[in-house]
Amino acid sequence: MKRLARSRHRRQEPGPQPPVPGPALLWLIAGFWVLLTPQWDRLPLWLLATCVVLAGWRWLSQVGRVRLPGLGVKSLIMVALIATYGITVNGHFTVDTAASFFVIAVALKWLETRSERDYYVLFFILVYLSTVNFLFEQGILWTLVNLGGVLLLLIGLQVLNAPDLPHALRQGWRRLGGMFLKSLPVVVLLFLFFPRLEPLWSVPLVTGTARTGISDTMAPGDISSLAQSSERAFRVSFGSELPPSDQRYWRGLILDRFDGDRWSQWQPTPQRAPGRVLADGGVGELGPDEYDVLMDPSGRRWAFSLENSRAVSDNVIAGDWGLFRFRRPADTPVRYRLAMADPKPDQQPLTELQKRRFLQLPTTGNPRARAFAGELRRQTRSSQELIDRLLMRFRDQPYFYTLRPPAMPVNGVDTLLFEAMRGFCAHYAGATTFVLRAAGIPARVVVGYQGGQAGAGGDYLIVRQYDAHAWVEAWLPDSGWIRLDPTAAIAPSRIQSGLRDAVAAEGSFLENSWTSPQRYGDVALIQWASLQLDKLNYQWQRWVVGYQGQTQMNLMSRLPGNISLTDLGYLTAGLVALVLLLIGGVTAWRQRRLLARDPVARLVARWRRDIGRAGIGLQDGQTPFQVADAVARHSPQAGAIARDFARTVNNHYYGGHDTDAHNGSRQTLMRLKRLLQSQKQALKLSG
Amino acid sequence: MPLQSISQRWQQWVNRRIPRTDAQQFQQRNIFILPTGMGLIFGALLVVMLLTGINYQNSLVYLLTFVLGVVFVAAMHQTHSNLAGLKLTLVQAGEGHVGDRIPFVFRGAADDSDAIAVKLMLGDSTVTRHHVMAHETTDMVLMAEGQRRGYLLPDRIRVETRFPFGLLKAWSWLRPASAAIVYPRPITPPDWSRMTADDGEASESAAKIAGQDQAELRPWRPGDLSQRVQWKRFARSGEMVIADWEGEQGHPGWLDFEAFPGVDVEMRLSYLTAQVLERAKSTEAFGLRLPSTTIEPDSGVAHTAACLRALAVHGLTAPVGQSPESTP
Repeated sequence: MKRLARSRHRRQEPGPQPPVPGPALLWLIAGFWVLLTPQWDRLPLWLLATCVVLAGWRWLSQVGRVRLPGLGVKSLIMVALIATYGITVNGHFTVDTAASFFVIAVALKWLETRSERDYYVLFFILVYLSTVNFLFEQGILWTLVNLGGVLLLLIGLQVLNAPDLPHALRQGWRRLGGMFLKSLPVVVLLFLFFPRLEPLWSVPLVTGTARTGISDTMAPGDISSLAQSSERAFRVSFGSELPPSDQRYWRGLILDRFDGDRWSQWQPTPQRAPGRVLADGGVGELGPDEYDVLMDPSGRRWAFSLENSRAVSDNVIAGDWGLFRFRRPADTPVRYRLAMADPKPDQQPLTELQKRRFLQLPTTGNPRARAFAGELRRQTRSSQELIDRLLMRFRDQPYFYTLRPPAMPVNGVDTLLFEAMRGFCAHYAGATTFVLRAAGIPARVVVGYQGGQAGAGGDYLIVRQYDAHAWVEAWLPDSGWIRLDPTAAIAPSRIQSGLRDAVAAEGSFLENSWTSPQRYGDVALIQWASLQLDKLNYQWQRWVVGYQGQTQMNLMSRLPGNISLTDLGYLTAGLVALVLLLIGGVTAWRQRRLLARDPVARLVARWRRDIGRAGIGLQDGQTPFQVADAVARHSPQAGAIARDFARTVNNHYYGGHDTDAHNGSRQTLMRLKRLLQSQKQALKLSG
Repeated sequence: MPLQSISQRWQQWVNRRIPRTDAQQFQQRNIFILPTGMGLIFGALLVVMLLTGINYQNSLVYLLTFVLGVVFVAAMHQTHSNLAGLKLTLVQAGEGHVGDRIPFVFRGAADDSDAIAVKLMLGDSTVTRHHVMAHETTDMVLMAEGQRRGYLLPDRIRVETRFPFGLLKAWSWLRPASAAIVYPRPITPPDWSRMTADDGEASESAAKIAGQDQAELRPWRPGDLSQRVQWKRFARSGEMVIADWEGEQGHPGWLDFEAFPGVDVEMRLSYLTAQVLERAKSTEAFGLRLPSTTIEPDSGVAHTAACLRALAVHGLTAPVGQSPESTP
């Protein structure tokens, strides 16, 4: 049986295809590994393990430790892998699952890498894997990793094509480096001028990964779990100074329905079929009142904005209550631009329906809070005074702001206000809204982010998930919707300097994220490095990753002439043609220079020219002796000299083994010059 | 039919562009360059990548596409300049019998730039990739099948390189002017002892000598029989080494074309070849009489080679490409 399998295996071996040399294979495997790293958090563990094992198997077989599996084993592995894949995917087809299928295909191909052709197939697949990687990760470090992986693959190709070349490694790197350096300007020009077309067909990038971020319902504990994440939510550049900390309220969505347990939206944001989000919004310099938000993918439709903003870029649409929405869930980083508008009080009275909506409470539950609200109502004359009294209570009584609040399962508002007195922003925002509504003041919970850290250089803000915040907006008849933040009353440091300082005494800041650099914010070096990296990434995202249609057209509009997209097409084509011409020109020029540096070749050219002038027809590519024969047919005397000349030339080129005998070549030159002279005379005599 | 004529015209055009010569300098005017099959697939991959970049509006995919596209163009330049500047010279066209593999020895000399992974190809026979580093020379041996007696002049020897990435191939041809000589296939005549001046004893003793005597190894020289090249050793070390057998002086004898009455010309030549080889084993002098030439009795390697050459080219004229300088 075994012998049978072996003989079949041998028959499969393609005869003329040479086997893959080991070092080349090693480079390919290395490239595979590097290109796999950007996928590490997206791929299931079993698949990563399979990739290790199969690539390792291929390598062991190369060094002769094991044999590659036969057809039977191979099919078995394939079936097993695809079955596992089918079970894990379970009908959810997203770009993620497509990417993992792609990786499975690569992993299986390792068992099938016998010939050069297989090597190339793997090379092509891996190059495309790097393309797929770019769909998911666009940070500058991942870009470098990806380009590095492609570089390894190109080295592998060089090794494949010249496996026994001495110093292949050093030379290969040098050659590639030179190639990259020389071609860099062309790449930059192409990148700038290649017209960014509209997508040819719609391709949603739906990923299955759950993203951290605020959601459209809020139970009291939700935001405190978000506070454990230091992932970036968005970054903002301002046209003028950064706003002060207590003005950095980034409104995301409004929760106005309370069911006794959770706050949710009265009207959920309508679901949209996933599609492409217009990623570039706003071009040109920022106006003094404008700000530019680069949001990391959230998978949600809401955009975050400061109070009293208006939309500048057209990829956000203004919604109710000064909120903004994208047309599609943000699968990729999205940049949008807003501007601060003059605060104009919302003087329009609430409609009956709206009043009902913002006063809605469950019919039962939290009796003490309701009684407390009634008492406040009786004690105060205006809504404003009531609000002040409530905030005063938060300030004066021993309320604590904590990331470790006790569980409050029943009558949560009562427990928080009168017993536990410990909670996170969501607790206090919910309780405040409850009390206000119970006292007859229309109120709502606003969820979003508060604060943000200044990036390196201090010219932009980084807002992270732990900046997630919930606060309250109440409606007063004469001033419209006003913001009030119970957290600011309880823990002013949360608003002034962020969560880290607010919970410093408790030591609960990012207590579960050991690897996050933000956790070590008090270590100056780590903090500095992390901020510098973020700045680099931010610039990269804004200027390179975000170089899309509008940005390009904006740049082009600054160049002289009115450049349209079509013109850009011509420009690019012209550029490519120019580069090709340039390369051809350089090659030709080099050849000529080489010829010019070879004095013997120059003399030969002169010799041929002399003969041509004497009226002897010569053809290109004739050897010196053939030329001499032609001369001899014309004039025997000159022919003898020409023969001598030809012999000297041939001796010079193919003669001795002394490769660089300078003396010899000088003698040769003298002799050739002499012969040229005498031949000229001989030709003159005969002609 | 038109296809054939196109290919014929192409051949003629190439032949005009690349004249027959034993030394060819590869340069812009005689190097051809095209993408390989893999290069075409690579181009298709770039198109797919560009489409991906357009559809996902992904700048970095654009960037990667441009980088690889420019690398492809740069590779074109590299592949071309890899071959350009190489000078290939046919140093020696070998000799051998019909059915033997006959060596053509080439010397590649590079100018300022390396010529890496250069392949010589003649029909199915291929020289493995050789590297000619800058300012150095490398010898390459290409084997050609000797199919017919006489001159063996390959029409074109293809010189190709796919370095660095194998996505493009640059190639040219060397159309050698010097021909190799193919000796007739040796066939032992049925009862030749009667027809020659010698008797069987001499040959027996010669055989005995050949069996007993020690071989003396020496480097290959022009005119040596390819049979006597130690091919196993060549495969191992790349050196062409000849085994010489020492023998004692023999009696002069004549090998005569006319000694086989009624036999076909080619057969006679084969018989004579066998006899020459037999005689060459001993050191006894022998002469060769052909209708066109007579070679006086002598012994030694050069003499044997001269006899075999005379047998090989009997009744043939040198091929057209044979340039004057190779037959001084």
